[in-house]
Amino acid sequence: MMKIVTRNLITYATLLLAYTLLFRFGLSSLLTAEKWIWVKVIAVIYGAMIFVTAWMTGRRDGKENFLFDAGFRWNLTTGIVWGLVSEGWFLLGLHSNYESIRMIHIPLLIWSGFLVLHFSLFLILKRRTIGGVHKTDIFE
Amino acid sequence: MTTNDTFHEDLLGAWEETYKKGQLTLWIFLSLKEGPKYVTQLQESIALFSKGTIRAEEQSLYRTLRKFYHLKMVDFSSGKGHKGPDRKYYHLTPLGQSLLQSFVERNILLFFEEPLKDLLLS
Repeated sequence: MMKIVTRNLITYATLLLAYTLLFRFGLSSLLTAEKWIWVKVIAVIYGAMIFVTAWMTGRRDGKENFLFDAGFRWNLTTGIVWGLVSEGWFLLGLHSNYESIRMIHIPLLIWSGFLVLHFSLFLILKRRTIGGVHKTDIFE
Repeated sequence: MTTNDTFHEDLLGAWEETYKKGQLTLWIFLSLKEGPKYVTQLQESIALFSKGTIRAEEQSLYRTLRKFYHLKMVDFSSGKGHKGPDRKYYHLTPLGQSLLQSFVERNILLFFEEPLKDLLLS
């Protein structure tokens, strides 16, 4: 039986959690200190680190687990971790005065829309699978 | 070796590289048709049957067998290893056997019929 939550996905979620906590801390601190350029710099670094980590863990997962999901599990995990950390950051009052909860809710809303689209794409591509494995990956 | 020989070998190598892609399944199935095997035996059997032209990496075989197991084409039972822990002895399921038979009938046996047989041997 193939697992949906794999070791690679857990590794990705754990690293993403660490990155997001660091990013949130850095963002709120830099906004409070009004260091606008550095805010952009850490945002770019944060995005790049997510991309690289997702690419590496996703690639390894594809080799080890052959479960076809069109990258949806990684996208969903990113949304969940980012959303939970960000909401928690606000609930605990750790945000700066320059941040509002709308800055979390609007991206989450847009992200949810993309997740629906991504899941629809996955359902369409799933027709090219047999037992959850992409037809071109079964016989080597 | 002359330039023409090198050219011939290069082309043959390129053709064989393309030809061998997708063949691992057939060799695995044929080896398992002979009898249940653990991965190292399967590797040796494939090399022997193909006269060394097909060499499967152990990791690649494990990955492929896990996939085939998931798709119910192969199954395994545990058996004694020589000195170490128990080994997984893989065998074809009825689905695997039927797939191999259909594949061979459709894609291999035609090479044993006229006029292909004559053309291949001429």
